[in-house]
Amino acid sequence: MNEDIRRIQDVMEREAYITDRQIATSVFLAIALGKPLLVEGHPGVGKTEIAKVLAGAQSADLIRLQCYEGLDAATALYEWNYPRQLLHIKLEEQSGASLAQKEASLFSEAFLLKRPLLAAITHKGTPPVLLIDEVDRSDEEFEAFLLEILSDFQVTIPELGTLKAETRPVVVLTSNRTRELSEALRRRCLYLWIDYPSFEKELRIVRSKVPGLSEQLAREVTALLQSLRRMRLAKLPGVAETLDWAAALVALHVDKLDETVVRETMGCFLKDDADFKVLDRELGEGHLAALTSVAI
Amino acid sequence: MTAPDETNDSQTVRNDAAPGHDIVSAVVRFCRDLRQRGMRVTPAESVDAARTLGHVDLGDREEVRLSLRAVLVSRREDFDLFDEVFASAWRAHEPAGAPIDRGMRTTIRRPPAPLAGAAPPVSLQGWMKAGTSVDENDPLQLRRASDRESLGERDFSAYSASDAAEFRRLARQIARRLALRKSRRWRVTRRGERLDLRRTVQASRRTGGDIVQLVRASRTIRRTRLVALCDVSGSMELYSRFLLQFLHALQNTFARIETFAFATRLSRITSQLRGVEYRDALRGLGREVRDWSGGTRIGASLREFVETHGDLVDRRTIVLIMSDGWDVGEPEVLSAVMRELSRRAGRVIWLNPLMGAPDFSPDTRGMRAALPHVDLMAPGHSLEALRSLARHLAL
Repeated sequence: MNEDIRRIQDVMEREAYITDRQIATSVFLAIALGKPLLVEGHPGVGKTEIAKVLAGAQSADLIRLQCYEGLDAATALYEWNYPRQLLHIKLEEQSGASLAQKEASLFSEAFLLKRPLLAAITHKGTPPVLLIDEVDRSDEEFEAFLLEILSDFQVTIPELGTLKAETRPVVVLTSNRTRELSEALRRRCLYLWIDYPSFEKELRIVRSKVPGLSEQLAREVTALLQSLRRMRLAKLPGVAETLDWAAALVALHVDKLDETVVRETMGCFLKDDADFKVLDRELGEGHLAALTSVAI
Repeated sequence: MTAPDETNDSQTVRNDAAPGHDIVSAVVRFCRDLRQRGMRVTPAESVDAARTLGHVDLGDREEVRLSLRAVLVSRREDFDLFDEVFASAWRAHEPAGAPIDRGMRTTIRRPPAPLAGAAPPVSLQGWMKAGTSVDENDPLQLRRASDRESLGERDFSAYSASDAAEFRRLARQIARRLALRKSRRWRVTRRGERLDLRRTVQASRRTGGDIVQLVRASRTIRRTRLVALCDVSGSMELYSRFLLQFLHALQNTFARIETFAFATRLSRITSQLRGVEYRDALRGLGREVRDWSGGTRIGASLREFVETHGDLVDRRTIVLIMSDGWDVGEPEVLSAVMRELSRRAGRVIWLNPLMGAPDFSPDTRGMRAALPHVDLMAPGHSLEALRSLARHLAL
């Protein structure tokens, strides 16, 4: 195994992110090849976390662009700070500077409101980690714009000229697949699919994030969540839900899972009324033991 | 090794990283194998693949697999295909007696695909009309539901009743497209996208030329309405139940849609579909729609629509007609009413489930009469067809 990959795996684990080879390899390649990393997977499997941990591990700044419907270039890139410019004009009225000088001072970086993408491009020092979160929620027009930025990391601001990144940021994009991303964007990126973790991996995550939970309970909690993911539910619980539930059980000082406890706390990991009924029926038929036993 | 793109690939690579020549040609061959199996691999990606191998431990097969996959595959659906090609490519390269890779086997895990083969065959139990099912005794149909065809391409007639989640997903996508079309007009808003210079200067005149207030403007959102008319006559039997399920999903995600069902008469079913489970909705429809699965009088039904609900249709409305065009009425009636509809509506789309058949031609009398007044005729027999319809649902 490549030493660098092992190191990344170690560093991520030190940041309390339980990882596997697939994730570590992709992260390593994103850094080594300087390509953006597109992370897809079900909600709650720790896609966003990758960028955060990566930034933490490299002690780099994390610049986050949260995508949403209707996000446009101005909000993502830059805007001029008009009120401040106006104030500046007022103050400069009395000064003897020439028109050209006044204009030059008006359109300088001081009056530029840097939005995430420009902030990432003009960042000095250690290359920052640029997290473009839930890119599937932006519209197709924005995706095309993003593609342009990601290919050369430079922007032209008419009043200022072209700004080019001195150091290429490490880019992580996440997508929940609510919409199919364009082929062009996919091809530009390294691709990482994060599946629901295996029982062993999830158990390690629970142990490291919720240390207060007894070994027996941690196993049962993880096994139940694993069984739930094999069922036909409207909304499958992610790892985030496992951790919520584990934390809730610790807070409630529960030391043994029984039907009552599960019924009372299933709001932690089920988020749909229909799913409540499904689990309720399973519990009513006395399937709790089967659900919490470790499947092979 | 004389193909131009292959030599190109290897030259670029050699300047960059340091993999040996034989590795580069192995990668190029591997990419060609992938292409042959139908995966899209661009030359830029093969270059990246070769660069990648300059960075990883070539003795570690799992590492090579994972890194090549990250570079060459861009969607989860292609993972299995990639792993398969990788396995055979590397088997060919391995010296005899090399250990069988265990990682390989264990990682080809099928992702949880709730809709894949395991889905039960067409269950018609819950359907409104028991006993009229066309495909219950048709073994061919049943086999189709369980073979490896992708969900999108499967004909609706092979669907299980529990594929509702996929319909919901699609409906959400379409609803979003319809709800978020931005027009080119700008309107003053408090926190607009951009500064409205003209209005700002205008406002400054009130304060003696000093700019006190900045006026901002945003693009207005174009509101599109959808009117769906679904044929529920006997000839549409197989499809209408699924199209209705799709409309049910759409009705519950998108506010500006009106839904009608027709066979020989028209029924407005918007309220029956809204806010209830699909099964309950169907029960309500059974009471409401009298001539369910009877014959079709498309022209007369549409005429009734224009006369009683014509106000629903304006230039911002997309009219979606779902029918196979088997009309027992007079073609002149249909032709006239279609002309009327296309004059009023922003767009008229005709979804014809029969269009999915390879030998389809629109030569039913009804179809011939309607076609000149339709902006778009599209297939409506599968989820994939509905998905591509989404692209056209915009004004």
